[in-house]
Amino acid sequence: MVITRRTALAVGLAAPFIRFARAADEPLRIGALCPLTGAGGQYGPSMVKVIQAAADEINQAGGIGGRQIAVTVADTQTNPDAGVAGAHKLIDVDRVSAVVGTWASAVTTAVAPLCWEAKVMLFTVSGADSITKLPHQGYIIRTQPNTRLQMTRATQFLIDNKAKRVFALAAQTPFAVDSYTRISEVMKAGGGEAIGQIIYDPKQTSFRSEIDRALGEKPDTLFLNAYAPDLAVLLRELYQAGYDGHRLTPGYAATPTVLSSLQPELTSGLWSFAPSPDLDSPAYATVRKILGTQNPDPYSCQVYDHVNMIALAVAKSGQTTGMAIHDSIRKVSQGSGREVHGATEGMKLLAAGTGVNYSGASGPCDFTPEGDIISCKFRFDEVEGGQPKLLSLS
Amino acid sequence: MEGAVLAVPAIGFNAVYAVLRFANFAVASIATIGAFAGWTANTALGWPIVPSLIAAFAVAGVAGVVADEAALRPLRSSGALTTTIASVALGIILENAVRFVFGNDPRGFDLAVHRDWRGFGLHAGPQQVQDAIAAIVAMAALFCFLAFTRAGKTMRAVADNPMLASLKGIDAVRIGRIANFVGLGLAGFGGMLVALDTQVDPLTGFRVLLSIFAAAVVGGLGSVPGAVMGAFLIGIGEEMSLLVLPATYRGAVGFLAILLMLSFRPAGLLGQRAS
Repeated sequence: MVITRRTALAVGLAAPFIRFARAADEPLRIGALCPLTGAGGQYGPSMVKVIQAAADEINQAGGIGGRQIAVTVADTQTNPDAGVAGAHKLIDVDRVSAVVGTWASAVTTAVAPLCWEAKVMLFTVSGADSITKLPHQGYIIRTQPNTRLQMTRATQFLIDNKAKRVFALAAQTPFAVDSYTRISEVMKAGGGEAIGQIIYDPKQTSFRSEIDRALGEKPDTLFLNAYAPDLAVLLRELYQAGYDGHRLTPGYAATPTVLSSLQPELTSGLWSFAPSPDLDSPAYATVRKILGTQNPDPYSCQVYDHVNMIALAVAKSGQTTGMAIHDSIRKVSQGSGREVHGATEGMKLLAAGTGVNYSGASGPCDFTPEGDIISCKFRFDEVEGGQPKLLSLS
Repeated sequence: MEGAVLAVPAIGFNAVYAVLRFANFAVASIATIGAFAGWTANTALGWPIVPSLIAAFAVAGVAGVVADEAALRPLRSSGALTTTIASVALGIILENAVRFVFGNDPRGFDLAVHRDWRGFGLHAGPQQVQDAIAAIVAMAALFCFLAFTRAGKTMRAVADNPMLASLKGIDAVRIGRIANFVGLGLAGFGGMLVALDTQVDPLTGFRVLLSIFAAAVVGGLGSVPGAVMGAFLIGIGEEMSLLVLPATYRGAVGFLAILLMLSFRPAGLLGQRAS
């Protein structure tokens, strides 16, 4: 066929309409930007599994009004550089409308500007206070309680357990300083004091000198604000250094593998705290089934909620763009609509013109205008014989 | 103590550099492979620590030779820089291969933990002392190998003057393999020593790569006694830095040492090859 100038012009004029015509059955594209490797490598694989399973669940039930969800996965390596590269690929090449599952606060902080510039919604499980203080114009939603809320609850637990002198050993993270500030405030109000903090480089192989300096201050309680690999080293070296006081650490550091890889005498009596999923929620039961475990980690629960909320927001607005999700997310996550625990159930109600209020595996999923969750439960555990035993859940 | 443990992979790095004339950054992943080999021998096969260390040496040595034959030797004719860059890529591939087989989770050795010995305001851990002794034994064995065996002597000959060695009929390819086996085996041995005091995970070797490289540069690239001296200086320097610097800057000690050494004495403390 000979292409004349006229046919070329006709095709050129028609091209946008061809694209538009196709857009109606284009899938909703979601990017799973998770820590498959690096310090968060224990969580990324199960998070991705849950994201894909949640999308499959919706797709098998007929999609969002016939529209399928396509998930593309990228690895952050728990590292801001790799996270930014992954986000660029998801946004520029795969054209996703939403990015879910960024885990480390440093990664989320680096990735967030790319998302709001491209009007792509970012759903994160990172805790640093600074994240929702970024000028994100509403493009960040986080299901993890922020540092302030977490530290308030954790320090209150220490006060209840008669801690008077707390010293913090913290990995270098965006929340290390905020955490210590909040611990100091709450300790002071509770009649004790925070006597110091050392921020260390988590890539080191040994923390003996840091520990010597911390123990020199004679703390009765150490707050180990660590990730899993450095926590294992800290616990061993604290034992070797003869420390017998209390130790509190975030639940994401005291993973089952860390606890089982260390000798029981190293972990005995270790306290850990974590925002708790909603154990009674049907969505939590689904995550349990997806992962085949009785105790899914909180991040896997949160990403399940991310995918379901995105699907509901798209169903509500009838559009797949990041901006549409941005505009309608709070119309399906909170408010006076009927409480639902899954997108499939919620979409039926939306189609019938009934409002919905999603409440998921991680909790009520209600958000402040800044994108922080309003409330959630916390659990505190004490390790005995290498196993965490629940102390309290409230 | 840190220095003694660091010295072993640093010697391995320098031994490879001396014979093959390139900086093999895959040494970090080889150290990780050694640590996992030792860990498998210790926990899955129930071997005690000393045989596990030998397993770490042997597996890392073999893995190092195989990886070098497959990826680096074909590139050596293109120059040291090409080979060095390829070794960085090789390191990433090996690290991810380890991750593929063993996963990301940190693991610990089947080993009793002890409280430190204390006295005179100082304390030292039994495990650290054992690690230091193991490191010293490994270094002594290497010195004996280089001084008294035929293979060791030919290795030194190639390191001193490759042209003269080839005129004497020494097979450079074979010596290259021996250097790789011994050098990268030591990296694996050192990787397991690091892991004994901490844990095993796919980044075990990578965490000490900068310190190893700094020790090698400070001591003098290609110099085996230099690597020992450099490792002790870096090990002590990193610990002492806490007295004057915040702990987060500890990682900068290695960079600072490299910077100072390259500015004022590029050949290193005991190195001859400044070129």
